[in-house]
Amino acid sequence: MTKLLNLFRRRRNRLERDLDRELRYHIDRRVEDLIKDGLSEPEAQRRASIELGGVPQVQEAVRDTWIWRWLDELLRDARYAMRSLTRSWGFTAGAGAVLALTIGANIAIFSVVNTVLLRPLAYPDAERLVSVETLWTNTGRASQDVSGPDFLDWQAKNDVFEQLAAYFGGNETPVIVGDRAVFANSAYVSAEFFAVFGQSASAGRLLTQDDVPAEQAPATAAVVAYHWAATHFGSDRDAIGKRITVYGDTVEIVGVATPGFRYPGSTDIWSPMRATAHAPNRSDHPYQSVGKLKGEADITRAQAQMRAIGDALAGQYPENRFKTATVIPLQQRLTGSLEATLWVLMSAVGVVWLIGCANIANLLLARAAGRTREIALRTALGAGRVRVMRQVLTESCVLAGGAGLVGLLLASLLVQGVVALSPANVPRIDDARIDATVLGFALGISLVSTALFGLVPALHASRLDLSTALKQGGSKATASRAGVRLRSVLVVAEVALSVILLATAGLLVRSFVALQQVDLGFTTDRVLVAYTEYAVRDDVVEDLWTRSRFYADVLDRLRNVPGVSAASGVAYLGMGREPRSPRDVYIQGRPEGRPGERPQAEYHAITADYFKTLEIPVRAGRDFDSTDTPERPRVAIVNETLARTAFPGESPIGQRIQTGTNRKAAWMEIVGVVGDTRWQDPSQPARAVIYAASTQGAGNSLSILARTSLDSQSLAGTLRTLLHDANPTVPVKFETMDELFDSALAYPRFRTQVIGLFAGVAVVLAAVGIFSVLAYLVGQRTRELAIRRALGARTVDVIPLIVGQGLRLVAIGLVLGLAGAFTLGRLMTGLLFEISPWDAGTYLGTIAVLGGAALLATLVPAIRAATIAPLVVLQQE
Amino acid sequence: MSSARFPIPQGTLDMLVLHVLSLEAAHGYAIAQRVQQISRETVRVNQGSLYPALHRLEQKRWLKSEWRRSETGRDAKFYALTRAGHQQLAREKASWDQLTAAVRLIFNEGS
Repeated sequence: MTKLLNLFRRRRNRLERDLDRELRYHIDRRVEDLIKDGLSEPEAQRRASIELGGVPQVQEAVRDTWIWRWLDELLRDARYAMRSLTRSWGFTAGAGAVLALTIGANIAIFSVVNTVLLRPLAYPDAERLVSVETLWTNTGRASQDVSGPDFLDWQAKNDVFEQLAAYFGGNETPVIVGDRAVFANSAYVSAEFFAVFGQSASAGRLLTQDDVPAEQAPATAAVVAYHWAATHFGSDRDAIGKRITVYGDTVEIVGVATPGFRYPGSTDIWSPMRATAHAPNRSDHPYQSVGKLKGEADITRAQAQMRAIGDALAGQYPENRFKTATVIPLQQRLTGSLEATLWVLMSAVGVVWLIGCANIANLLLARAAGRTREIALRTALGAGRVRVMRQVLTESCVLAGGAGLVGLLLASLLVQGVVALSPANVPRIDDARIDATVLGFALGISLVSTALFGLVPALHASRLDLSTALKQGGSKATASRAGVRLRSVLVVAEVALSVILLATAGLLVRSFVALQQVDLGFTTDRVLVAYTEYAVRDDVVEDLWTRSRFYADVLDRLRNVPGVSAASGVAYLGMGREPRSPRDVYIQGRPEGRPGERPQAEYHAITADYFKTLEIPVRAGRDFDSTDTPERPRVAIVNETLARTAFPGESPIGQRIQTGTNRKAAWMEIVGVVGDTRWQDPSQPARAVIYAASTQGAGNSLSILARTSLDSQSLAGTLRTLLHDANPTVPVKFETMDELFDSALAYPRFRTQVIGLFAGVAVVLAAVGIFSVLAYLVGQRTRELAIRRALGARTVDVIPLIVGQGLRLVAIGLVLGLAGAFTLGRLMTGLLFEISPWDAGTYLGTIAVLGGAALLATLVPAIRAATIAPLVVLQQE
Repeated sequence: MSSARFPIPQGTLDMLVLHVLSLEAAHGYAIAQRVQQISRETVRVNQGSLYPALHRLEQKRWLKSEWRRSETGRDAKFYALTRAGHQQLAREKASWDQLTAAVRLIFNEGS
């Protein structure tokens, strides 16, 4: 491309230089003559210039003639192309549709990739925003979770950040607005937070150091999102000064953020916090940290410095033994998990496009063969080789340009489809749209399409041997050896590409099926989940017990609703589905072990009947029951994984354990063992879990689970009334367990659906390609076949001749495609579950599907060829 | 014909240039001089429009050009007629003759 541009530029420069010399010669000669006539030199110079009408003016006029000629030829070629395209409208419609569809799909997927991965985050100086994280040196993993004291040390000791902020939450929280209790996403942020993102207020002001509450005191001010202010108060200005209750704390809205600012996640409310408020020690990691690099500091320097600070802390505090700090670009942190999926999609849709181009190249070749005589005639009449090539290329260009335009329109629709199919939590995907970058991509892909399928026939046309072409009498010309070879290569390429795509889709489908068949350890159907949040101040003990009574009361009444076979509660079920970080487990009578080497387990507080509701089998011991009151000794139930790993070869029943950071808490006696469950991600092995009886503590709000034979809608209605009657300030949100589990499969499902669709299109395109090439070849051999038939060959003798010709190509394509798929399989490993990227079944299936389609595509022309009446053909000659 | 110099009619410059070049190859300055000499200084060639005309004719493949040593010893761009140029000149002469004949006929009729 640059070469071409350079060529163009050099030619242009030469033209300019020549023109300059030409005009200078004219002026100089005129001046000489005028001086001979007796004028002084300056006067002669002046006269010469005036007579000419000014050198720059003449230059401009001459340049116009260059451009006109170029445009003129282009226009003529384009008009010619349009004419010849509209003349064969069948070809144009077919090729145009294939091209518009594949280009459209590419543009659509690219605009998603562009929005999610490529476009910088929509914050000022987004390239300087980083996530500052804890790096676990024992596992080598970086995690966003940061402890409060660590954060304060980072903040104090670094000199690479302009601002470094901590935040917490962003999850759904009960908020009381006026007399309504609603869920809103609420985050707690340090005073530097808005400065990191370079934000200003749309109304009022943002949070400052003065808003940060004193130790143990509640926040009194909050900033809300623009859309949230508009929803609840009508406008941003009207929200200022209003009071809302966020998780029990009444705060005044002092400011509204600019429209669109929702970080982290889709936050509605930001409250100020002290970075030690939620967790004063170094072994709790509730916070996350974002920073803005100083202008002159690059990320490598920041990484080195934070590593050094983290290493120093590791030497200083035993809790930090396995931790240090690292810095990751914020954009990478937000999109990292998506990258693989999106690039796989982009490659898949690119492959479909390549197959489409191969098809069109084939069609154009067939067309070129039909036009051999026309082109030969033009060449004979003096059209240069380049001129003929240019004309054929212009035709491809007009075709690709038109298809690109239609594709762009299609893409704007397809984008909506992709967004609708995509998992709910893909960041920024809703902003996917056709912008300048996407337009550039559309132009690029149309141009490359032209080059891909246009150059082949153009070269073919320019290499035409005149005398043969004219003698052969045009459209009846037999296929040249080179032409047949070219077509065969195209078919082989199409088959190979389809195999790769089909194998990939096959692997994804099989792995998706495997994912769905994973034994979760619990049953999801007919279970309704009600998320509730009962806000209390943690330090008002009386309130905590009121909350406990509230839940006990609601569950009792729910169990009496006809059609409810089991009802129970669990603290924070699946909200946001972020994995619960495991806690250290201590066993009474055993050495404690060193940090990082103790057994670990997730901790869940549940009520009685939780296992019955989810149909988790109780393997040994008992479920919690009404005897597990605060006055009684604390009890716990463990799952099989913890029983197996922490108590190998002995019964865990009767053992006493402790968990968490508070070592003064009472020991819990294990009273039961239950089956394993796969909660967060069905593709991950079950984790060790400790269940505690929520009725023995005054811990948390509960999510209510109900197994029912009723319609989930009507039960939701009943439960809503029930909760509202018990306490109108508790907001509730419903989901069925099936929906909840479905969202865990959102990414694999998305991948599988989209790639499956692409693979289907690819197979159809490849079959059409095989069909059209064979139909062409059969057409070329009509005469030969007729002679064979006339000499006594039967239909059954002729068909294998044609089919064999087709299947040979398909076989080569299959082998190449399988080799390609095998090589690329390695890249897929991360996206697969329980299926090897070299899964034999998938490859056999691929061969069967593609082979079947290919056979069908070859049989039709073969049968047609074999049933032709020989007399008719031979008489035509 | 009046003795004052009059600007040449639109579109005839091309024809004049082709005619001059049909006698021998020449560079731009020489063409301008020659047109004036042949027309006995009655025609005023706007020198500014001469060069765009030359380039236009060259791009229509009626002229070809090359850089050659001129009579003063300096290199100049010489234009010459191509075969297509000769044909074009013949066509233009024919249609000019037809036009002038027709106009004369009308004038004679009216007088």
